[in-house]
Amino acid sequence: MVDAFFAVFQRPNFLTFVIIFLWGFYIMVTRYNLVKKLIGMYLVQTSVIFFLVSISAKKGATVPVLLSTTDPVQAASYANPLPHVLTLTAIVVGVATTSVGLALCAAIYRKYGSLDEKDILEKLE
Amino acid sequence: MNHQLPAILFLLPLFAAISMPVVCLKHRHWSQPISVATLAAMVLVSILNLHNVIHHGEVRYVFSGWTAPLGIEWVADGLASIILVLLSALSLLGVVFTGPTSPKDLGGRIVHYHTLILLLVTSMTGILFAGDLFNLFVFLEVAAISSYALIGVAGGRALFAAFRYLIVGTLGASFFLLGVSYLYAVTGTLNMTDMVDRLPLLLNSKALLGGLLFMFIGLGIKMALVPFHSWLPEAYTYAPDSISPILASLVTKVALLAWVRIIYWVFNASIIINDIPILLLMEVVGALAAVIGAGLALAQRDIKMMFAYGGISHIGIILIGIGQGNQTGFAGGVFYLLNDSVMQAGLFFLAGVAFYQYGVRTIDDIGRVGKQAPWLTGSLIVMAFGMIGLPPTGGFFGKWYIILGALEAGNYVSVAAVLLSTLLTLAYFVKLFEGIFRQTSTRLDVQSGEIPLSFKLTLGVTSAAIIILGLFSAPIVQLLLNHALPPSL
Repeated sequence: MVDAFFAVFQRPNFLTFVIIFLWGFYIMVTRYNLVKKLIGMYLVQTSVIFFLVSISAKKGATVPVLLSTTDPVQAASYANPLPHVLTLTAIVVGVATTSVGLALCAAIYRKYGSLDEKDILEKLE
Repeated sequence: MNHQLPAILFLLPLFAAISMPVVCLKHRHWSQPISVATLAAMVLVSILNLHNVIHHGEVRYVFSGWTAPLGIEWVADGLASIILVLLSALSLLGVVFTGPTSPKDLGGRIVHYHTLILLLVTSMTGILFAGDLFNLFVFLEVAAISSYALIGVAGGRALFAAFRYLIVGTLGASFFLLGVSYLYAVTGTLNMTDMVDRLPLLLNSKALLGGLLFMFIGLGIKMALVPFHSWLPEAYTYAPDSISPILASLVTKVALLAWVRIIYWVFNASIIINDIPILLLMEVVGALAAVIGAGLALAQRDIKMMFAYGGISHIGIILIGIGQGNQTGFAGGVFYLLNDSVMQAGLFFLAGVAFYQYGVRTIDDIGRVGKQAPWLTGSLIVMAFGMIGLPPTGGFFGKWYIILGALEAGNYVSVAAVLLSTLLTLAYFVKLFEGIFRQTSTRLDVQSGEIPLSFKLTLGVTSAAIIILGLFSAPIVQLLLNHALPPSL
């Protein structure tokens, strides 16, 4: 039990990921304001992206451009570019989702004059 | 030429979608002919592609010369090609259907609608063909973003439903991406074929199990499996009538196919990770979805809401079939998926016609239609036969093969779930028919004219397709058994 507890602290990046993810999820579930819900959603997305970047971190590695072509390639001395590329794509996807969400928020505000979920639900009844 | 077909299938709707806002800026009435022409071409190319795949085996499409583990690859195999024919045909029908409804229904945003529909079709093609997990994620998100925008396109009550769908759907996408990054961290690859070779050494890994479960949760939200289904009924009910048929028939099924791809093609379905049999999970969740979805449908009075819950229960039935882990069950599940797509499209066309032509939204109103609407009542009877699963329709044979598969696997709980869900489906259609044939004193307030040709066409084609799928069930299932089975079965 104690070992497991300390093992968690060996990997602060995982801990950070869990905290941000749950924080965003909490905001999404508990807040009534639609924009706050979007912020929570964005935190959840960002936490996953953070996780993806953090697991690909490498100490003492350089940019993935071959330094010399003669030796057999030393994979350990180059950073893996793939997770970073994935992250870029995931960020773009996140931005697109958030912008559609904000557009919906704006349309909802124009129609109902409020961004509070409770108000809107009252007006829907 | 033949090996370029997957790319052509993807680029056709994509180019049409991109050029649509430019071309139709001044000429809004061009938008429907353009998308009908594009989707008709896509139907032809997808049939050509299916023919090619059946005769020459699967096509692996490599982008810009980087071969598989390093580059991105697309796999056009039997399953994807068969589903793609269905997908393009149903979206063509959906676009044809919108002719008369669209001006009123979409609040004048016809160009937006056609652009988004074509983008949705593009991304679903991508989901079917994707050969690596990250590609799958990106296309899932493009499909999801197009559907959020489509649901909200006309404004009104749908806006709020679309917003809820966006919040829940994005949570699902985040779970899926988390699962993908777990698998990437464990195996070091994203390519599905490459991953297959690396998995057997890692069966005791907890990260593998975690990644798989996160992906299941993510895709479960996308396919509206029962604990995660809450976004679907409202979104599909309040979405404009021209949009809900395409969404209801395709989006959830394509997410289910993505899960099938992962569980059968990447993971060998019968594997047990950390003593947890994955297939058992699918059967149990599928049985729950089948029964609970049908039970909730029985409680509805709004017609579209009822059909939406019916769709949720059918996702469960498909999952039961696919989760049996034998050939009969798998082919039955995929065959039922084909049927269910057609039936969902047909039912939502029907709900659209009922509202547009007769102003009917709930069961209480539907009695007013009665004998005045032979097309509506006739196609409703055929679709009810299909949904319940009575013999001449495809629904019967789909359930038949699923039950045969469950018996073969000795899974009596699954059989019971399918039968119970069938009974509940029967019950809610009886409720609907009771509404139709009840004698009411109130007459129709809307004096309905002749039904437009496109309504007759869509209702007729979907009803005919339900019966044709039933009559030709044996060759279709044989085709699925020969060409669409995963390598592990």
